Amino acid sequence: MSSHPGDLLSALLDGELTPAEEAGVRAHTSACEQCQRELRLIGEGRTLVRDLPAVDPPFGFYERMLRPRHRWARVGVAALVAGAAASVGLMAVATPREAPVSPHVAQLVDAHTASASTSGDPISEMTPAAAPVSFRP
Amino acid sequence: MAGEGAPTWEDVARSHGRFLYTVAYRLTGNREDAEDLVQEVLLRVRRGLETYQPGSMEGWLSRIATNAFLDEVRRRRRRPVDLLPEEPDWVLPPTEGADEALAAAVLPDDVQAALLRLPDDFRAAVVLCDVVGLSYHEIGDALGIPVGTVRSRIHRGRAQLREVLTGA
Repeated sequence: MSSHPGDLLSALLDGELTPAEEAGVRAHTSACEQCQRELRLIGEGRTLVRDLPAVDPPFGFYERMLRPRHRWARVGVAALVAGAAASVGLMAVATPREAPVSPHVAQLVDAHTASASTSGDPISEMTPAAAPVSFRP
Repeated sequence: MAGEGAPTWEDVARSHGRFLYTVAYRLTGNREDAEDLVQEVLLRVRRGLETYQPGSMEGWLSRIATNAFLDEVRRRRRRPVDLLPEEPDWVLPPTEGADEALAAAVLPDDVQAALLRLPDDFRAAVVLCDVVGLSYHEIGDALGIPVGTVRSRIHRGRAQLREVLTGA
């Protein structure tokens, strides 16, 4: 190989060359000071990153990862709570002697309960929709 | 559905969380973005577990992580933000007389900061090679680029990193 190997020097360090290619790169480099210097600098750059330690996740990481934030929940929960309260209010006007849990409200409650997280965001920490809503005058 | 004995995404989070966080932190350089990236990776893992073929879990995960990282980079580029980092004051001055020898104590934080100075594509290639340990072929597969491009990005990334760390 007569011309400088360039990025093949990285391939050499990474064991990515065929035996023939490696022989050619080594032959050139042994006689070329410029490439010897470049090989040293590249090798140092490589070693610096390879020597980096693993990074320990911060406190609470696993808990946060295992309770994923659904982006839609932050917006949707407020609407669900408002909708649930409104539905129960309407039911009270229509049938004052009964206290049925309409399927619509039950669905909203289930959806809210399923999506509620303990991530600490202010919406999730509001009174859950499952709490009794008083509609007595 | 994933077969019996196949990991759930929660299994992946617990047993590979530290690995994922390390890769994410090396790519993004800060804890908040690293956590967001891991969250995004786990979301993609949940969707992709059905199709996961048993093999190198870390290889599969780093592929997802890097692509999620580059997707986010592209997304942020479309918003007007100040992308140019300030010139850091920690760049070691070249020692006179020494042939650009590295100062004795180069801390991991210094290396991380230098990594952040690289173009995102270069950083991704260097992290996959030198942090995760993937082969050029695996990196090419992960990023959808030819092996020659992988080699070039790694090489230039290492050269720039070395240059940044000594001001050479």
